[in-house]
Parts: sequence; structure tokens; C-alpha cells
Amino acid sequence: MAGSALRRLMAEYKQLTLNPPEGIIAGPTNEENFFEWEALITGPEGTCFEGGVFPAKLTFPPDYPLSPPKMQFTCDIFHPNIYSDGRVCISILHAPGDDPMGYESSAERWSPVQSVEKILLSVVSMLAEPNDESGANVDAAKMWREDRSEFNKIAETLVRRTLGIPLRPYRAVMANRDQS
Amino acid sequence: MRFLGISFVSFLLTSIVVANAYYQKKQFYPSVVYITKSNPSMAVLYIQAFIGVWILGKLMRKIFFGQLRTTEFEHLMERSWYAITETCLAFTVFRDDFTPKFVALFTLLLFLKSFHWLAEDRVDYMERSPVISWLFHVRILSLLLLLGALDLHFILHAYQSTVTKGASVQLVFGFEYAVLITVVINIGIKYALHSVDLNSETPWDNKAVFLLYTELVMGLIKVILYVAFVVIMVRIYTLPLFAFRPMYYTIRNFKKAFSDVILSRRAIHNMNTLYPDATPEELQAADNVCIICREEMVTASKKLPCNHIFHTSCLRSWFQRQQTCPTCRLNILRTPTPPTNNNIPGAQANQVPNAFFNVFAAAGPNPFQFQNQPNAEVGANVAPPGPPPTTSGSAATAPPAGENLGNGAGQAPPQFMFPPFPFPMPFMVPPPPPPANLAALSEEELRQLEGNERHNVEARIQCLRNIQVLLDAAVQMMQQYSVATAQQQPPQRPPEANSTNSEAANGSTPPTNHPTSSQQPGTSASSSGDAGDSKKEPPIEITSATIVNGVSESLDENSTVTAEEELRRRRLQRFLQNEQQQPN
Repeated sequence: MAGSALRRLMAEYKQLTLNPPEGIIAGPTNEENFFEWEALITGPEGTCFEGGVFPAKLTFPPDYPLSPPKMQFTCDIFHPNIYSDGRVCISILHAPGDDPMGYESSAERWSPVQSVEKILLSVVSMLAEPNDESGANVDAAKMWREDRSEFNKIAETLVRRTLGIPLRPYRAVMANRDQS
Repeated sequence: MRFLGISFVSFLLTSIVVANAYYQKKQFYPSVVYITKSNPSMAVLYIQAFIGVWILGKLMRKIFFGQLRTTEFEHLMERSWYAITETCLAFTVFRDDFTPKFVALFTLLLFLKSFHWLAEDRVDYMERSPVISWLFHVRILSLLLLLGALDLHFILHAYQSTVTKGASVQLVFGFEYAVLITVVINIGIKYALHSVDLNSETPWDNKAVFLLYTELVMGLIKVILYVAFVVIMVRIYTLPLFAFRPMYYTIRNFKKAFSDVILSRRAIHNMNTLYPDATPEELQAADNVCIICREEMVTASKKLPCNHIFHTSCLRSWFQRQQTCPTCRLNILRTPTPPTNNNIPGAQANQVPNAFFNVFAAAGPNPFQFQNQPNAEVGANVAPPGPPPTTSGSAATAPPAGENLGNGAGQAPPQFMFPPFPFPMPFMVPPPPPPANLAALSEEELRQLEGNERHNVEARIQCLRNIQVLLDAAVQMMQQYSVATAQQQPPQRPPEANSTNSEAANGSTPPTNHPTSSQQPGTSASSSGDAGDSKKEPPIEITSATIVNGVSESLDENSTVTAEEELRRRRLQRFLQNEQQQPN
């Protein structure tokens, strides 16, 4: 009999394959190692990320589901709650006790009741509604608050880039912004 | 590819060096002597030896591990850098006997160490992969045997060398290999546990516990080894700086293992004593899937006070981290289960305070708001029993209660817990004598109030209870006075009496309200007991102004006023009159 973490991950994988939530695909990168997953998230409709397909990787700890996994986008993404290296900062991914931003109540933290599906759904809603109180990416949070049109422009560039339709390179947009 | 190129160049250089020596000297021994005398030739040979070790390492890795995973490789690199730095530090201690042999021994040590690390990672991987082939088992077993045999051999070698030749650098090697052999044993035990688990049909619940204890025992042995090593090194040579980083990590891991074991024991104890097993009917009625592991619950399930049901083993490993219900986050340590004594203060310190503090907050401004002040000061602040001799005493105690309500919410909440105590109607009973001032507190009493042990907490609670009794008594007394004044309107000073009456009507407790207000101590007792939201009905609603009025009236009634008090009473009344007139 395999370990409980492995069994639970296999159960979740099965569940996600049988009943995939809309706009989310997730599964182990390599079926020999169930503790490294890849996920594809489509940008929620009606937001500036609409139409984009954002790849991310999930890394599970050996004591999953007692500890939360880590999630990191593997594409360029500009969002108040995502660090510039792609790491996602939402409360559901934080174990009770550690509070990097110092604002979360324990009710929204990780618990074994959560699952990969819930994490990904939370990330989708995070894409739709950034929380600019907890600036993982302070630049993005500031722009989201003060210059929404510029933010939307960058988001659109990113969306096009994930789809392979270059409009303006992301770096160029950022460079322009820095100059102005 | 690059590596291939480097090794080819190195091999070419070695051949050139050897050929050159042989060409010049024509014979074997002279050419060997020539090479050892020539520094450039030796350098080439050293590089060749290093590359040879590298090739051997690659070969062994291919044999025992096959392809390395990315994380394994990253771990290996990270640890190698630390190990190399530490080796360089070790060279500084033994710079006197810095010989090629010495360097070779250290290289060998590093070489073997890296295989220990890889084996460790590989065994941990057993838990992560659903496909464990027989090749895996063969590889791990043979590798562990080989590493164990080599470690033992080097330990024996170091021991004999130390015994025969006295302390030397062999001490370091003996110690390093001793640490490595504990690593091998640790990996072996883990491997055995994982294999048993893999081959059993049903999930093996106690594996986690065995792993914990293995970790603890091995951690202890390692810590002892490191401490012994540092002590010996300090006595013979100098401070072994190179051993400090691993020693620090070993001690930290041991500490963690130790606290894990304690938490786990506590969780198991709580599980066994506090929560009932779920009955088959309950399992049928509920979803029947353990939300932690997402598997069906057939046997060994526990029901929490919030009616959520989980596997015993899942719940145990969760409680090791947190004492809350995974589903509803109910703090299971502070729910009213009879054997609260089972709770250990350390666990409560993290979990209890927030919710517990609500009890105090909800109970409204009752005497417990004094909790954040030093206890002795509270004792001194509270007026002694009996009719308050001056009104300023009670007026002074009232405002801090309100302030503390605000402060207390932001401050660290109290870290103790006691069952709802039955509150006696204290008014006929003589209240316990409180310490009148700081000087009256004996050393022993003060000591009792300090500290975090259970009896300290009890002593503090006792002190607070005394204060509450006194306050309730004072409130009762006030009410009696005001009843008396209401019944006998003093005919002597009609205008002033009117003014005070109207003032009292403006206050929160008009004199006609006595039946309800006399019940208030009772409600405060029950509210502090069951933590209901009795915020609307704070127990002490008499404002200082009404207290002043009531007391002054009653003092007037009894005609025991001294000249001073009479003077102050008039001043007060004048003040109140002014206050009333001002709005108009």
C-alpha cells in the first residue's frame, strides 16, 4: 500500500480527470512522481486575463494534505498577488501559523479539506479579482489601483504571449512604463 | 559532452607526461622519481586522479541510481558546496600535515558523503512514486550495504590509527564516518518501513509514529556524536569551526523531532481520551469519506465534538500540527469536554486565547477586565469591604474597567482556561479579605501569582474572583443605599434632592429600577459562565455620578457625616447642578 499522501494525490488526480472544472487542467508532470504537478489555467471571462492560458506548476510536500502545496506560474505574469518569479501568494496556500503578509485570518488558510481543485479555483478568482492589500508584486498592485488601463494593457500582452500571438513584447511594455 | 572533452584532454596530458618521463629516463624507477620531483607533472597527475574519481562517481551513480531527478541533483549540488567549504576549513586546522594522502582521504570522504545524500533522497522518493520496481530495491539495498561496510571499515581504521599512533587527523575521519553510519542506519530503517508499508494490503497507520521515533533516536545519537567530537577537538586541537554548521542543523532537527514526538503523543492521548469512536450508524449517516485522505471510512474513525468524523490516523497526524477540526476549524481543545485536565498548557497557548478571550469580552465590563493589570495593583485598587469610606475610591476604580476593555482586546489575551464556575451570591457571605496594598502581600503570595504553571494561574484566578466578589458587594451596597434614599426623600433640602433625582434619572440607573439592577450581579455571573452575548446588559451599570449621588444621599440619611464629607458632598452637588444648567 502506498503512502497516504500519494493515495490522496492519486484520488484527486482521478477526480480532476473525471470531472474537470471549467477552464482548469491539472495533473502530474510525470506519472512516476505524483508530487510535481502541472496545471493550465484559463483566464476568467470578463476580466483582463480573458482568453489567456497560464501554465503553472504545483509542488506537493511529503506530508500533503497536512501541509499546503506550493504553486508557481511558469509564464510571465503581472498580477498583484503573484511574485515576479511566478510564485502565487494566496491565503489558501499558507499553512495556519505563517502569515507572510500579516493580514489573513486562519479561517481562509490551508486545511486538509482543501484540494488541488479548490486551490486552482481560488487562483482563477484571484486572477479575476486581485487583492491589492497584499502586494506580492507591489508594482502590479499599485498599477491595478491607480492606472487600470495600463494594467489591462500589460495583461492583454501577457494573454497574447501565452497564446503565441505577440502584440508587444512584455519586456518592452515594462521598459516603456519605467521610462515614462 | 564538455565533461568528455575535459577528461579526454586530461588523459592526453597524462599520457604526454608519462611518455615524456619515460622518453627522458628510459627506465621505470628513474621515470617515477622524475615525475614525483617535477611539480607540473604531479599537477597533471592530480587532475587526472580527480577526473578518475569523477568518472567513478558517474559510474556508481549510473549503477545505483540510474538517472538523477532534478531535485536530487539540486540537493546534491547544494550540499556539496557546503561540504567543500567545510573541508577547506578543516584543512586550516590540520595545515601541518597537509599531504596528498590527506587530500585524497578528504576527497574520498566527500565522495562517500554524496552517495549517502543521494540514498537519503532516493528512499524519501519511495513515498512519492506509485511505481517502485524490483530494480529499485536491489539498488538501494546493495548501496546501503556497500556504504555501511565502507563506513565501518573507515571507522575501524581511524580507531586503530588513533590507538596506535595517537590523536591525528584520523579523529576527524573516524567521527565523520560515525555520523555517516548513523545516516546509513536511518536510511535503512526508513527503507524497511516504507517497504513494509508498500507490501501491506491495508494502510499502515503507525508508520508515521515509527518514523518519528527513528528520527528522534537517530537525532539524539548524532547530537551526542557531535558534542563529543567538539569537546575532543577543543581539548586536543582547536575549535572545529567546520563542524559547527552540521552540528547546528543536527541539533535543530533533533529539537524538531523531539517536539514532534511530544505533539504526537499529546494528539494520541487526546484522541484516545477525548473523542468517541464513530459508530457504524454515524458512518452510514454521514458521507463516509474521510475528508483528509479522501478514502472510505470502514474502521477506526473518530467523531469530534462538532460531529465531524475522520480516520483516527488522519486525525492524529493533523492534530500533531493543529488542534482544530479540519472541516470547521473548531478549536477542539477548548470545547466543553469533561476531562479538560488532559489539556496541556503548551498546546493551549497557541490555540485557546482568541476564542477564550471572547468570554471576557462578551461578559461586558465585569471585574475580570482587570486581568491585564498587575494583580497586586488591582488588589490595592479595590476598596476594602464594607461601606466605601470615600466616594473617590469607587469612582477611581470604575474608569479603568472601561479603559481596559479597550486595551485588553488588543493585548495578549490570557492564556488560561477554567470551567465556568458557579457564582455565589456573595452579599450575605463575608467576602474574602483582599490584600489592601502591596506591602500586605507576602513573598509567597506574590510568587504564587507569577509564572505560567497551573497553580500560578489558579492563584491569579482566585485573586480575580476575590475582586469580583468585592465589586459585586460594593454594587449591592450602592443599590441598598439608593433604595434607602428613594424610600425616604430627605425633607431637609428639597431643591438639591430634586436636582440629584433628575440627575439620577439622566443616568443609566434610575432609583426606581432597583429590582432589575439588584439582579444584575446574577446575570453577570451567568454571562461570564456561559459566555453568552450579554454585552447589552453590563453588570455594573451604575455610573460614577449616580454612585456619588447615592452615597451622598445615604450618608446624609445616616447623619454620620463628618464635616469634611459634608463639604465635599455640597461641592459635588453644586457641580452637578452646574452641569445640569449648562446644557440649558
